[in-house]
Amino acid sequence: MSKKAILMGNEAIARGVVEAGCEVASAYPGTPSSEILPAIAKYSDELETNTQVEWGANEKVAYEIALGATFAGKRSCAVMKQVGLDVAADPFMTSANFELNGGFLVIVSDDPGCHASQTDQDCRYFAMYARIPCFDPSDAREAREMVFDAYDVSEKYKVVTMLRPTTRVDHCRQDVELGEVRKLDNPAHFERKPYAGMIHFPARLDRESIPMRNTRYSKIQEDFETAFPKYNYEVPAKGKASLGVIAAGICFSTVMDSLKSLDREDISVLKIGTPVPLPLKMVEDFIARHDKVIVFEETYPVIEMQISDRNSIMGRWNGHVPMERELTIDVIRTYLLKALGEDEASSDSIEKLQQAQKELGLFVRPPRLCPGCGHRPSYSSIRKAYPNAIVCSDIGCYSLSKQQNAIDTIISMGASITVASGMYLAHKADGIGTDRPIFATLGDSTFYHNGMTGLTTAVYNRHAFVLGIMDNSITAMTGGQDHPGTGSKMRKDEEGVIVPLEDAVKGCGVKYVKVVEAYELKNNVQVVKEAWEYAKSDEEPAVIIFRHPCLTKLKVKQEQHLVKVDQDKCVGCRYCIDFFNCPGLAFDEEKKKAYIDERFCISCGVCVEICPVGAIVPVKEDDE
Amino acid sequence: MQFIIVGIGGQGILFTSKVLGHIALKKGQKIVGSEVHGMSQRGGSVISHYKIGDYRAPLVLKGQADILLAFDQMEAFRNFDFLREGGQAIVNVHEARSFENDSLKTYLSEREIIVHKIKGYDILKKHMNGNFLFLNVLILGAMCGAGLGNVTIDEVKEAITELAPARFRDANLKVVDLGYEALIKA
Ligand code: SF4
Ligand code: SF4
Repeated sequence: MSKKAILMGNEAIARGVVEAGCEVASAYPGTPSSEILPAIAKYSDELETNTQVEWGANEKVAYEIALGATFAGKRSCAVMKQVGLDVAADPFMTSANFELNGGFLVIVSDDPGCHASQTDQDCRYFAMYARIPCFDPSDAREAREMVFDAYDVSEKYKVVTMLRPTTRVDHCRQDVELGEVRKLDNPAHFERKPYAGMIHFPARLDRESIPMRNTRYSKIQEDFETAFPKYNYEVPAKGKASLGVIAAGICFSTVMDSLKSLDREDISVLKIGTPVPLPLKMVEDFIARHDKVIVFEETYPVIEMQISDRNSIMGRWNGHVPMERELTIDVIRTYLLKALGEDEASSDSIEKLQQAQKELGLFVRPPRLCPGCGHRPSYSSIRKAYPNAIVCSDIGCYSLSKQQNAIDTIISMGASITVASGMYLAHKADGIGTDRPIFATLGDSTFYHNGMTGLTTAVYNRHAFVLGIMDNSITAMTGGQDHPGTGSKMRKDEEGVIVPLEDAVKGCGVKYVKVVEAYELKNNVQVVKEAWEYAKSDEEPAVIIFRHPCLTKLKVKQEQHLVKVDQDKCVGCRYCIDFFNCPGLAFDEEKKKAYIDERFCISCGVCVEICPVGAIVPVKEDDE
Repeated sequence: MQFIIVGIGGQGILFTSKVLGHIALKKGQKIVGSEVHGMSQRGGSVISHYKIGDYRAPLVLKGQADILLAFDQMEAFRNFDFLREGGQAIVNVHEARSFENDSLKTYLSEREIIVHKIKGYDILKKHMNGNFLFLNVLILGAMCGAGLGNVTIDEVKEAITELAPARFRDANLKVVDLGYEALIKA
């Protein structure tokens, strides 16, 4: 009897990876892909496979590790989010020209609607760019199933193969069938071939590799026309169709539920699960049989672009589908109706609700650092020391310090350091290099990811700035994954080696390194000043490691220091709200006073140091 | 049956849909839903969609949810438009005055939406030493107390016993009862 479980999309993918006999899996966490690798470890433990499961320090590292395993003939996979593939783009593009020895899957999660990302990029484009095949799952069940086929395609054509889920597939929950592990008899083997190995010099690339890649891509396209009727199929209309819909990935599921809500059976749907290379004949035959066709896919018009005559379809190119935003079920329903030339009846009651929402002052609550988080006082110590400092920040929980008006730039992993270098040089070029304090701030995991190259560059070139490493000893934003600084690994009974943060910093050539407890705000203001003076006078980066464990990972409860806002002392200046912004602090707009919101305050006691007039005070034992 | 569950990141709303899913799976029902992971879990507005029955897409269409479970009243106000006509909501109330808003009252009555209020923070302060992480099970208990969702209090208790860590089991079961009683009397 088959077993079923309710799995998150990411768990379903992981289950597929383990069942398909993958033996080496590497990743760097990033929403919405983060849960895949830990689930691979969990299922490998449960199913007792020998799968090697590891976090790489970044996505390029993870990709190359998985690729190396494939060179040795194993089934392997690399997992990342879309911007992670940007980091891994170099080995990705190059390996697309290779004929691999083992099955290789790159699992890349896109994030339509940018729920947790800095781009809305569509990695199916990346697959097209590299000329490799891509699978686009429409739900958790299909995502698991596609893993098997993706490996088969990869091995049949010796090609890098992409599985591209989107946020709603990664983070959906669904009942999914569980299977057994495919036993592959596949010992590691690497044959030395002096002139035809895994080295592609220019002459060989031009004569052999690139023509091979192009022929291979055409063959796969031919194959995809008929190979996967389970992923590419038509749901016909009853009778003559008044509209044809082409839908890929999660959009297919959404279209089907929208049609159900509209109670429409006069619309036929062509589902596409292999958008790259597109089964073009199938698609163009569908278009030819319908008077009107609309295309729904996320996030870019990848299918649309491959169709030879775009005039025959309604899509993004002619404004029939919005060019941006996530195609949620409400959006798809609206645009389906528009394509049919029908309008949704609007109701008056909804206006009442909108009126109420306005009157009650409702807003989408932005994410904030947790109450008691060590990052908050770390940033405050910089602001208190130098209110006019330029603070370059980075990708991680501490990006949320934007809510306390503490940071000025965010680009990509590690860019706090390099952008601070650029800021310094810009001022240096004017001959005023050291007038305005320049800070870079990033987390421990981000430092291992891509901070060290920037830091060595800054030491080498004598860039004067202070780097604050917000060290909470975990990759926090994505849910708490390990990294070289923690030394922990994922498989049962496996331990790694800790690479201490201080040593890594010193190894980059930094001479000034101070480690402080992030909660010691008063003391840290002094350390910040001292560090900047050093950086300025010695023309070198100085590093402060602000340390406090991530509160979501605390093993023992930390000390409690109850606080209150003395209502007589508070002058209503909002400093604690605007520049500290702990969820435990709230502001009474009528009384114009701050108060402690006990629903969220965890009594860390740090905010006592923040109020300029000393109105936030410890609660003493004899207080009411 | 379509559910919308809303709250603030960190309130533990994911566990609620986990319990509902666990029960549905036992009954052999088909399930699809959507959760929020990542940045918004840090204190931002979060929403879970949950559909039991013959559905494919994880998201619930506005105006079609049968039940809204709100861990925070402000998030409830923002998401009432998900409820169908005659839909019902369980709302954790911390400030009752907002419910007196006339436009809101008109909307709810025009759409025949029934709101069951529970003072979750007060109850947990009184009985659980102010540990607000129990809100999720409190709301599940309240849902059963109000007779919503086609699940019984026993099914919820069984699911929690199977899903929650053993050391929290007794406390969890106690809170489910607190939620149940709060609404069954009302
Ligand atoms: S508590 Fe202090 S910082 Fe906050 S508003 Fe009152 S006076 Fe200003
Ligand atoms: S003591 Fe102050 S800083 Fe700490 S959690 Fe409470 S309000 Fe926030």
